[in-house]
Amino acid sequence: MVKFIQKTDLLAWLEDLMKERTLVAPAREEGVTRFRPVNKASDVVMDSGSTDLSAKDWFFPPSEVLFTVSKADGKAVITPTTLAREAVLFGLHPCDAQGIALMDLPFLAEPTDTIYAEKREKTTLVGLACRQACQECFCASFGSGPFDKSYLDILLIESGEGYIVQPVTEKGQKLLTPAKVTESNIATPQPPAVNSLPIEGLVEIAPKIFNDAYWNRVADRCIHCNMCADVCPACYCFDIRDYTGKGGVVERVRTWESCQAAGFTKIAGGYTPRPTKGARLRQRFYHKFLYMPKQLGKIGCTGCGRCVRVCPVNIDIREIITTMQKSGAKIGAGSS
Amino acid sequence: MAPVRPNPFIPFTARLKDSIELTPDVKLLRLELEDEAVRNSLKYQPGQFAFVSAFGVGESPFGITSVAYQKDGMEFAIRRVGTVTNALHELEPGAIVGVRGPFGNYFPMEEYKGKNIVIIGGGIGMAPLRPVIRTILDNRQHYSQLTTIIGARSPSDLVFVNEYESWSALPNTKLELTVDRGDANWKGRVALIPAVVKELQLSPDNTVAIICGPPIMIRFVLVELKALGFAPQQIVTTLEAKMKCGLGKCARCNVGEKYICQDGPVFRLDQISTFLEQF
Repeated sequence: MVKFIQKTDLLAWLEDLMKERTLVAPAREEGVTRFRPVNKASDVVMDSGSTDLSAKDWFFPPSEVLFTVSKADGKAVITPTTLAREAVLFGLHPCDAQGIALMDLPFLAEPTDTIYAEKREKTTLVGLACRQACQECFCASFGSGPFDKSYLDILLIESGEGYIVQPVTEKGQKLLTPAKVTESNIATPQPPAVNSLPIEGLVEIAPKIFNDAYWNRVADRCIHCNMCADVCPACYCFDIRDYTGKGGVVERVRTWESCQAAGFTKIAGGYTPRPTKGARLRQRFYHKFLYMPKQLGKIGCTGCGRCVRVCPVNIDIREIITTMQKSGAKIGAGSS
Repeated sequence: MAPVRPNPFIPFTARLKDSIELTPDVKLLRLELEDEAVRNSLKYQPGQFAFVSAFGVGESPFGITSVAYQKDGMEFAIRRVGTVTNALHELEPGAIVGVRGPFGNYFPMEEYKGKNIVIIGGGIGMAPLRPVIRTILDNRQHYSQLTTIIGARSPSDLVFVNEYESWSALPNTKLELTVDRGDANWKGRVALIPAVVKELQLSPDNTVAIICGPPIMIRFVLVELKALGFAPQQIVTTLEAKMKCGLGKCARCNVGEKYICQDGPVFRLDQISTFLEQF
């Protein structure tokens, strides 16, 4: 027997949740599918496949106000951003949940990013199992897969006229209280097969090929669009700037930034430690495959395949992993 | 109940007490934190940095150039180079600014006790070195020979000039000045800092060299120090990097496995030489 919810009951449950909470789910917006707060359950794209933008948007949005400063009677009054309502992040796939677990590593590390932490604590993650594997994805490399429940509070697996409901955490269990979940003997479908790439040993290989001409060759065609970082569920570089709005209220705003941008490391006086495209492209992959594992314990990739899909010049992270592995094998053979 | 965590992005508010012109493009800002409890409890060490906000324009990181124990406000020597520093230069005493910090590691002054200290500062690179000098002078008996080498592009670019007398007054305390280009009134040395390092024939025995300045200066000073026999463990510098958060998150100052804001900014040369990239 499994727990089961009919599709109509699921929508009713979401409507009910929205009374008290913000529902964040895949929705269409200007031609892209992205996670955003929705006003009615029918706006939710239930069969989104891999969304164009990852689920990091809710916890680490493209831009967000960290605090405001207003001046009154010669004093500066600082008002921090807080999250008024609890939230439900609905419809994320297992790789998205893993992406959030990767975001947790820098943002929850001491000193904790309290704005991120508050959103994380007040949000329940309701995942949707993948109906089919994405062509570009290789999530199996990172121990994930279409039905992976890790990092989720609830997993829903589509079956027949509804979804098999698998509560994972107490938080998830609690959220299900008002849902019309029944016991059913409906069959659990088989998860679709997903691709896998060998990722072992990248930490050891990377330092040995740091100065290889390969990085410049790949970077030659990079056009600095930064799309790879925007869609990446694990890229967390950011910028902070001030904006002065109506009535002179100052907003200190955090926005996404990418290590691929030319001015990313430029300091006062003009010195740029990472002046070439090759050095910047290498930084992105080394941060993922070498620095993040060493600093935070995990590779900064979920294998979601989004960067492969969006890159206008076909820079392909799968090809980079494969090339690194091949040169690792060569180095190994050469030294024996 | 979980303990209330402070939001690490929110600065303390502070009043600008003084804004003193040190050179045509450098001002010394003395700030007084508004909250008395914070003012009395905030500790920082030589080499640490903080972000100073010009609200509405932005915030930038600066080495703290005062010593905490003087309790006379936090001081920052700020060169006018961009939008934030420009706004900070324009502020009048009494203005409200933000201060976020202190961040980063610091010069291990305890470890240096009993040693000869060579301080080499180029231009505004003197800002984080000033509290090192102050600490040594205020605890003079704990340190051996102090040699300070200060260089600037021109005589009018030398910072903290009115303190030079006290930086060379005590026994075993030497100050060497140099400029890249002299002017009509300059009777001192005209040479690049690396040349002065070579000229002085500094002994590496029981000595630590502390350097801060433009990257190009540091590079050539290192060449001379190595030639004099200084080991990488005896050479310390403070690295400048683009930073936005100071929290080891925004990844601007990420170099290899390090974040300069959290693991630095103070590094020994033997630590820097393990970096894959030159920073």
